[in-house]
Formats: sequence, C-alpha cells, structure tokens
Amino acid sequence: MSLEEPQAPDVGVTGEGDLDYDALEDLLGDNVVDREQHENAEGFVIRPDEVEETLSTLKEEAGFDHLSSVTAQEYQDRYESIYHLKKFDDPTQELSVVVPTARDDPVSESAAGVFDTAEWHEREAYDLVGIEYEGHPDLRRILLPETWQGHPLSQDYNQDKPQIVPLREHANPMEEKTKIPDDPDTMFVNIGPHHPATHGVLHVKTTLDGEQIADLDPDIGYLHRCEEQMCQQSTYRHQIMPYPDRWDYISAGILNEWAYARAAEDMADIEVPEYAQVIRTMSAELCRIAAHLLAVGTFALDIYGDFTAIFMYAIRDREVIQNILEDLTGQRLMFNYMRLGGVAWDLPEPREDFFEQTRDFLDELPDRLEEYHNLLTSNEIFQMRVIDTGVLPPEQAKSFGATGPVARGSGIDYDLRRDDPYGYYDELEWDVITEDGCDNFSRALVRLKEMEQSGRIIEQCLDLLEDWPEEDREIQANVPRTLKPEPDTEIYRAVEGAKGELGIYMRSDGTDKPARFKIRSPCFCNLQTLPVMSEGEYIPDMIASLGSLDIVLGEVDR
Amino acid sequence: MLGILKGMATTMKHALDGKKFTVKYPEETPEVSPRFRGVHKFSQERCIWCRQCENVCPNDTIQIVTDDQRNGEQYNLHIGQCIYCRLCEEVCPVDAILLTQNFEFVADTKDEFAYSKEELKNVPWYKDIDPLESREPDRGAWIGEGDGEVDYQ
Amino acid sequence: MQLLPEQIMGILPFGGVGAEVVASLIAAAIIGTIMLTNTALAGPWAKRKITAAFTDRIAVNRIGPFGLLIIVADAVRLLSKELIVPEGVDRPAWDLAPLIIASTALLGFSVIPMGSIVGINMHLADPEAGLALVFAFASMASVGLVMAGYASNNKFSFLGGLRAVAQNLAYEIPLILTGVSVVIFAETLQMSEIVAAQQETLFTVAGIAVPSWYAIVNPFAFVLFVIANLAEVGRNPFDIPEAPTEIVAGYQTEYSSVYFVLIYLGEFIHIFLGGAIIATLFLGGPAGPALPGFIWFMIKIWAVFLFTQWARSAVPRVRIDQLIEIGWKGMLVLAFANLFLTAVIVGVVL
Repeated sequence: MSLEEPQAPDVGVTGEGDLDYDALEDLLGDNVVDREQHENAEGFVIRPDEVEETLSTLKEEAGFDHLSSVTAQEYQDRYESIYHLKKFDDPTQELSVVVPTARDDPVSESAAGVFDTAEWHEREAYDLVGIEYEGHPDLRRILLPETWQGHPLSQDYNQDKPQIVPLREHANPMEEKTKIPDDPDTMFVNIGPHHPATHGVLHVKTTLDGEQIADLDPDIGYLHRCEEQMCQQSTYRHQIMPYPDRWDYISAGILNEWAYARAAEDMADIEVPEYAQVIRTMSAELCRIAAHLLAVGTFALDIYGDFTAIFMYAIRDREVIQNILEDLTGQRLMFNYMRLGGVAWDLPEPREDFFEQTRDFLDELPDRLEEYHNLLTSNEIFQMRVIDTGVLPPEQAKSFGATGPVARGSGIDYDLRRDDPYGYYDELEWDVITEDGCDNFSRALVRLKEMEQSGRIIEQCLDLLEDWPEEDREIQANVPRTLKPEPDTEIYRAVEGAKGELGIYMRSDGTDKPARFKIRSPCFCNLQTLPVMSEGEYIPDMIASLGSLDIVLGEVDR
Repeated sequence: MLGILKGMATTMKHALDGKKFTVKYPEETPEVSPRFRGVHKFSQERCIWCRQCENVCPNDTIQIVTDDQRNGEQYNLHIGQCIYCRLCEEVCPVDAILLTQNFEFVADTKDEFAYSKEELKNVPWYKDIDPLESREPDRGAWIGEGDGEVDYQ
Repeated sequence: MQLLPEQIMGILPFGGVGAEVVASLIAAAIIGTIMLTNTALAGPWAKRKITAAFTDRIAVNRIGPFGLLIIVADAVRLLSKELIVPEGVDRPAWDLAPLIIASTALLGFSVIPMGSIVGINMHLADPEAGLALVFAFASMASVGLVMAGYASNNKFSFLGGLRAVAQNLAYEIPLILTGVSVVIFAETLQMSEIVAAQQETLFTVAGIAVPSWYAIVNPFAFVLFVIANLAEVGRNPFDIPEAPTEIVAGYQTEYSSVYFVLIYLGEFIHIFLGGAIIATLFLGGPAGPALPGFIWFMIKIWAVFLFTQWARSAVPRVRIDQLIEIGWKGMLVLAFANLFLTAVIVGVVL
C-alpha cells in the first residue's frame, strides 16, 4: 500500500496499462537514435553521452524506477551496454536502453547518478567486458582481482594467457604494517573473507570508530566461477540447466532453474504443459521454504551466537524438505529437475506416498513456524537487537534495486510471482507479504510469513496434482533435440527467486549456444545496500544486517 | 521477559521430549530415493559408442576413445569431476550408462576417481535398489548383467 | 568441623609448620583436581551432550561409553597442536593471560565450603572475609581477558578485551551489591557462617521443612545475582567479549594449543565458580537431604552450568551498548534498591 497521493499515470502508458513505446520515444526526443525489438521489451538505442539524461527522464517522468540489470557485451563492431528498466508498480512494463560504444574507445556515460544500483553493475561490466563508464564514482574491478590483465568476456581476450602478476603487486599485504588512519579515532578492520558471520567468502573492509561503523566497503569476487561464461559455452537444450542450481546453492536450485527455463522457453516459444507448471510451482515453493528456513537459521546464528537451537531446528526442518525433493528430483541440492518445456520426472510412484509425505510436512509447518516465532520474533532481546537497526528506506531500496524479502521488508509491494505471473501462480490463492519496518526485524518477519504462504501454495498444488486426470499428465512439451533460436534474439526474463528477482539475459547468434548469457543476481543487488544499512551502527548490527540480507556468495559472485 | 521464557521453554521442550533427528550413519543407512543420482554404472554390453553422453556432458567428464572403425576402446569417467546432472543417462538411447544410488566412494587422491570402464562396471548397486525401476526406461539388457562377458564389439 | 588441611594434618606422621604446608598443598591439590575433573567433564563432553539435547541431536557417542573418552581424545588433540605465536604479540603478557584466566578462577574455590563426603570436609580455608576474597578472585579473570585482548596484536582481540572491561565493570558492581544484601541477612562475610545461616527452617509446608535459603527468602536478589553472574562468566545473553559471529573469538582469537586449553578451562572453572558462589550465597551451600553435602553441592553447581547452557540455546546476545545500558541503568539501580530494602527490612523489621 502506498501512502502517496494517487498519481496521474506515467508518460508512455496507455489507458489499459500497456506501454506506448511511441509516446516514450517522443518523451526522449532526439536522444533515441534507433529502436530494437527484444523479446521482452523494445530497446531504445541512445548515444553513449546521453545515458544519464535519458535514464533520469525515464525515471522521473515515465516511472521506470527499477533498473533491473545492466548487461554489457561485445559485438564484432561495437560494445553495448543494455539497461533493463522496469517499474516496481508493474514489472511487465519493461524497456531496454541500449547504449552502443565504439570498439576502439568503449566509453559510455555512467548511470550511477540516476540509479545507485548501476554502480556495481557497471563495475562488473567494466571488469568482465571492458566498457568504461564516464562519471562513475569508483570504477574498479569488482569480481576479479585488481591485478587481472584483460577483460575475460571481451572478444580479443586470450584465455590461454596466464595471468602474470608482478611481484610488486603480489607483495605480502602484511609487510605494510597497520597503517595509522588519517583520522586517529578510527580503526581499519577486515571483516572476512574468513569470518564466522559473513555467510561465505565475503570481505568487508570496515573502518570502525570505536564499535561503530564509520565506513564500509563490501569486497566480493572470492567465489567467482565464470558461471556466465560457462553457460555461454553450453547448449540451450541440456547443458545450461545443471548450472543454475549452483548459483544460489542454498536449496534454492529449482527457483534458479526456473529463471533459465523461463527465459529460454520464451525465447524459443515453448509452451509448457499445465501439469508440468503445477509441479514446477510446487517444487519451487518447497525450495523457497527450504531457502528461507536457512536464511532464518543463519540470521539467528548471527544474533544468538553459535549455540543457538534455532539454527539446528531450521536445518532439521529443511532436511525434511530435502527428503521430499530428493524423492521428487533425485538430488538434495543440485536438483537439475527442470527441462526446457517441462520437468524431468513426474511425481514419484507411488504417488500417494509422496502426497502423504508432503502433506505431513505441511501439517507440521504451522507448529514449526510457531516455534520460530516463540524463539525469534517474540523474544524481547531479539526485538531489542533487530528492531530499528539496519534501516533501509524504501526509496533507497528501490534505487539500489533491492528485491525479494529485502524489498518487501522495506514495504515495497513487489513480487514477480504476482506482478509478472509465470508458472501456475496466478491461478492460486496466496498473498504477497510486506512489512513496513524497513529494519532487520521486518526482513526476518517477511521470510517467516512467506513460508506460511508458500505452504498455502504447495497445498493447493497438491490438491490439483491429486485430482489431475491420469491421461493428462504431460510433463514435457515436445522440444527439438537441438535448440537454435533465430540469430540476434535478445531476451531478459526474471523470476522471483528465494532472494529476489533473478533475471537472465540471453542473446542468440543462431548457434545452439547463447552468445551472451547474463545473470541478474538478486543477492548482488541486495548486498549493495549494506553500507546504507550499516554506516553509523554497531558491528553487531552490521552483522545482523548482513544476516538479514541473506546473501549467498555463490550467487553474488557467480 | 515473557518472550525470553517462551523461547527457553521451547528449547527445553525439545530437550525433554527425547526425539533425535540424527541418523546413526553408518549403522543405520539413510533412506535413499530410487531417483537419487550417485556413482555411475556402465555396461559395455549395451553401449553402442554413439558418444551422445560425451557430447551432452556439461563439463567434459566423460572421455570416450574409439579406434578408427568407431569401435569402443575406452570409456573413462571422472566421478570426482562429475556434477551428477544425469544428462548422460537421459540421452543414452540404450541405458548403457546409469547412475546408481551409491554415494559412498572415497579415494586418497583425486585421480583415483578417474574410473575406467571396468571400474564403472564394478560399481555396486546401493542397497539393491535398481534405479531403472523408478526411471522407467527399457531395461532388457540390464537383467543378468555381469554373468557373461558379452562384448558386442 | 575441621577444614580439609587440618584433617590431613591430623593423619600426617609429623607435625609443625612442615606438616601444615604439606597438608595445605595436598588439600589444595585435592580440591583443584576435583574442579579440574568437573571441568574436563563439562568442557569436551557435557557441553556437547547438553547442546545436542536442546537441538534434537545425539552428540559424541563413538569413543567409549556415552562418548566419554572424547575427553581423552580432545585433551590429546588440543595438547598436541602447534602453539602458534603471532608476530608482534606483547610477551610475556600474552603468555601470562591464559594462566591468569585459568588460575584465578581455580583459586576462588579455596574458600568455598563444598560440604563433606565420607567424613572429609571439602573446605580449604575459611577466612573471615571469605566472600570478599571469592569475589576478588572471580573478577581477577577479567584482568586476564584484558591482557589477552591487548597483547594479542589483533584488532578483534582488542575489541574483545575492551568489551570484557566494559562488561565486567558494568556487572561486577550489581553482582557484589546483591551479594552484600545476603551479607546483611547473614551478618557475616565468612562463607561457612553464610551457609550455616541458611540452615534454619523458614516455614513448613505439608510436613516438609523449607530451609531459609536466601533464594527463597529473597528471590529477587537471587534472580538479579543469577543474571549478573551470566555477565560475569560471559555467557548468553552476555557473551559479547567472545561473540564469535561478531568479533571472531574476541580476546582468545590468537590463542592456540595449550594456551587455548587454559583459556577454555578457565572459562569453565569460572562458570563453576559462579555456580559455587550462587550455591553458597543463595542455595544453602552443600545442604540437602539424604545425600552427602558434597554431592548436593556438585548438583547445585552443575545445575547452574546447565542453566548457562540452556540460556545459550535460546537467548540472543545483547549488543555492547545495550549491555552497558542494562548494567548501569537497570541492574545497578535494582541492585541498590534490593540492598536498600534488605537493609531496611533487616534493620527495622527484624
């Protein structure tokens, strides 16, 4: 619910709520050089020195307040940055802003002045592809080490060339003893990459003023595994699907697979049978519960200390889900369950056992959640610790492109399952949970309540599956053995992953492998908000905020 | 104060009800789904050396060596590099490669995990679960597998 | 009843100052061994079992009956590890800190009356200022924490050391003030007298005589003391000097091998010392029906240990500023109120 006054519809929206690209082009005037057709939206080609102006016009006047992702790629003749714009109110209204730059001098204006989230996205584009962004506040490498030579996703990059790092750049960091900071009241501390509470290998460069955070800079990339490049070297039909499981590897596998499945199916016009959609919806929600359980458990670990029972209870409940998913998919974490056009398997036989097992879990779920509420949300010390700490105001959450429980904990009513329906979600009864607290407490509460809603969804899916006529149980559409989409088809599609909007951008070049595969990771965007939440607060609050963001470094670094 | 006590009561309830979730592995082996994807089993009798598994494998785990008449000579699979996606089994037209439920494998060095076709053949079934039963493929040639060394080549 | 050194002196074949010294040493060794055995049981084994019980697990069950030999295994494992001395540590402060942490808590037991078993009185010394002495020993551990914190040349240790100081200052005073309220009742600082003062029957319910334990006489002071004690021994919700998820391991970050064992040992002895003080001041010391006093005393200190583990399973850690606030604005005021009211009641009413 918005407290704002009802506004006139944004420029470029027709009465029916559809986008009127011609009106948008008129709004931008001469800035639009050309128009492109992408599968998901139209692309406006603009000049590289008018990025900020164009984006701020679109943001202020046309209501495109969500910079979902920035994709950079290199063609034979040019570099290209694509700004995927959406609206938090209606994510089906999309627009791609395409910024080509010359090959010999790939300089483009930065969008960081309009959208805070562009800062990291453009750093990534610079790091991997090599486009330079003028006016960017801090254009450094982000995923690769500072000493890396070349840009791995650019065309003339020589993969066989060893990365030679001269000794002076590889000098022992301990050699230079602790520097006395300029401000003698502060102290520099490296929190991570080996630290009990960074949820993986995250390195937070922290400047402390006593116990309070004066300055903070998350340093990521320790778990960078070239997932985008691996997908670019794999075939659409089979080989990409196992990899999404390994982005957000905390039980959210099927949710991630769906992101790829949705993008690829829309690209190749594959109709998924309804029965398969129901199975997908059910298994994805099981994954969501498992992922949220772990999020809540580790959050408790950060606040309660390492002997808390909550973490163990969460792991135990997650184990039950994993057993169900193992029966369904054959694996406990790396499911590889979806296929283009459906799922790999029907429900396991005997179906009654599977239904019973899943229903038993659902029947227990309310009691379990009650336990978590007893241990967490109703605990006064917990409330004291997390209420009004790690505050993320909605405006900043939007600007940083925060999605998922982080955005919903800041009162932003944004859930792709409802706003940009896919699967079987729009046929089912469930609610999007939002909390207005904007603090660590709200984010934890959103997750706990979302588990309840996921339980509702699974329940309805089970009812549907039980009554599904036997002859109609089609789990896979007829998909050709090799998939070769039309050359230069471009698509950006997102689904609601466990941590937020998980988007995939793909461009085909007529072969059976994507020419560019870009992952818009929700954790990557959510992590950017950490400085906003933590600066001026205490170390324990920063740790709590980090826990409430629920990042998985596998997805941040990809 | 009430909330703290509620939390403490919850953990005490768990301590007193005596229920344990721990599985006493290896005395009690966990239930493994028939769909579970463990170490591969390979049947040279079945294999027609079509190389589809090698092609579909996302991370080049399978290495097939044939002579110039396309007769199979080697079938190597690095089970430590494998990501257990089951695509090889899925594409195989004759069920020559199959993922058993066996998850218990150890080695001292990583290269011991590079299994040759004999090692792959000797991978035992786990708890006598025949994965084919749950995966509904054509299974003729797997019956009586291992009795006679029939080599089609 | 004779104290333990006097009892031993009685059976020694020689007399004089020599016998006194030898007897004292033997007695101290006995008490020290008992407490170290307790700690060895608690640290590697009981703690695991208790935590596991709260979290639906089994914990150690492989080595020996009920996994008890894990104690031996852990001892071998920890002692055989390399002692890593980081560059730039401030020696000898860095080496002394673990010793101080472990030894001071152990020293505290010298004045605790632990009751008797088969005629042996487990009580080393009974000075008139016994309570003051035991508080002094208990709080000396924080000196070790600070030393460990600053000498480690590690920022996390440093933060942990600072936190330890802040925490101990904030909670020592309420702890002692609450202890003083007991002294007002008992009218003595001598530990044996405090215990003796709790033996009278307070009232009789259905034929069961309820003793005048100060936990029953003044439950408010008991609760205050138990909470302040959690802070004193650094356990949830007040385990912030270590706070593994925040500052890695606080003051003990850089310690390994034997030094780590000493710190770990010291922490557990400290918990038991806290339990012993609670038992003596509020739970009638070794008093109890049927079983020997010493057994009762052990049951009581283990109950306190169990409570600290229970709190760990379900109570969040407070933040440093909140801890200070609770300490200075909450506990201190309540402790003074308790002291004042006790003084008024004892002085005017009784």
